[in-house]
Amino acid sequence: MTIAFRVNGVEERFDCSPGDMLSDLLRSAGHVEVKKGCGTGNCGACTVLLDGKPILSCSFLALRAEGREVTTVRGIEEEAAVYAAFVTAEGADQCGFCGPGLALAVHALRSEKRHPSEEEIRSYLAGNLCRCSGYAGQLRAIAKYLEAADAE
Amino acid sequence: MDIQTLARPRSIGEALELIQKKGGVPVAGGVWLKMHPRPLALAVDLSGLGLEYIRDKGEFIELGAMTTYRELETSSLLAERFGPAFPAALGRIVGVQLRNMVTVGGTVAGKYGFSDLNTLLMALGARLALAGDGEREIEGFFLDAGDKPPLIEKILLPARGRAAFESMRVSGGDFSVLNASAAYVDGSWRVALGARPAASRLCREAMRLLGAEPRPAEPQVRAAARAAQEEGSFSGDLRASAEYRRTISAALVERAIKECAR
Repeated sequence: MTIAFRVNGVEERFDCSPGDMLSDLLRSAGHVEVKKGCGTGNCGACTVLLDGKPILSCSFLALRAEGREVTTVRGIEEEAAVYAAFVTAEGADQCGFCGPGLALAVHALRSEKRHPSEEEIRSYLAGNLCRCSGYAGQLRAIAKYLEAADAE
Repeated sequence: MDIQTLARPRSIGEALELIQKKGGVPVAGGVWLKMHPRPLALAVDLSGLGLEYIRDKGEFIELGAMTTYRELETSSLLAERFGPAFPAALGRIVGVQLRNMVTVGGTVAGKYGFSDLNTLLMALGARLALAGDGEREIEGFFLDAGDKPPLIEKILLPARGRAAFESMRVSGGDFSVLNASAAYVDGSWRVALGARPAASRLCREAMRLLGAEPRPAEPQVRAAARAAQEEGSFSGDLRASAEYRRTISAALVERAIKECAR
């Protein structure tokens, strides 16, 4: 069947089977910036925003996205570039596979809470796993990025 | 997932008909189903029924079955009525993304042994409103493995009360090794242990020992915690042995009662 929903502000139509997951549908339509890590709803690599809220696209039935607004990291590209510069500055840019999901989670955190404490950052990002960095560099980068972004 | 047909009903009546007459399998958050997939001839998506709400009905609070963990965790109404109990029980479950998907109705219907939320709902004495089939007390529902109503429409909570939740985890986002919740509602105490690792159970002797006082004395709290430890039934799995669970149960129950009485 065919369904339609908006991706990064643009209405798109998709051929969709009843059991398709949103991550697979998006990737097969060329949105390969959506990463698939564990595929079991644990790692956060597949994070996208659905009507502004972060969800795990690997565990979300694609049909449920019909008529809604999906945002991938391409939809926050400028903001993600600024954020990425902070990550690079802390030497926390390694394989990058967790990056798109993490950038979207940081964006969602910022939209919910300005000037979060370190504890609040840790708690909000607990669902985004990174197998390279050990988190310390990323956490420094995210704290500095949020401080700078929220000061604007 | 291997789904032949995914029906997207727009009313509870339509959903009930698909489940009862066509053998459809209801899909709430769908996350657990995704992790344990089985071929489904007919899946019934519950996301179009308008069951996402937290309503103050005066004498009680209604949670629509499709309300997500994140909505419960961040609800100002629930915080005002029960203090930090909901964020305490939900805030460490995997990540925000997952909590934006998993639902209270799916958790209750699944009677999941690992559940943190079910233990809190047990302590609060939640009732379940079934679509077209009256109500259930949550305790009886969990005790009867064969009780599988077609569709839970909403979960009813007391209008207010004090509640606390405690858990032991190997690491932050993991399932609880054991969890405990205590609540003081309408002049009486309820205490529940969950992730034993089987589903939550009330600790009747502990509840009896706590009596009717909102702030029981220290020896009374300790006696209740010991009673919960003795009356509880525990078993072992990959996270912990039965003995380990029994050992820590008294401390978790004591903390939950003290937090609730604070």
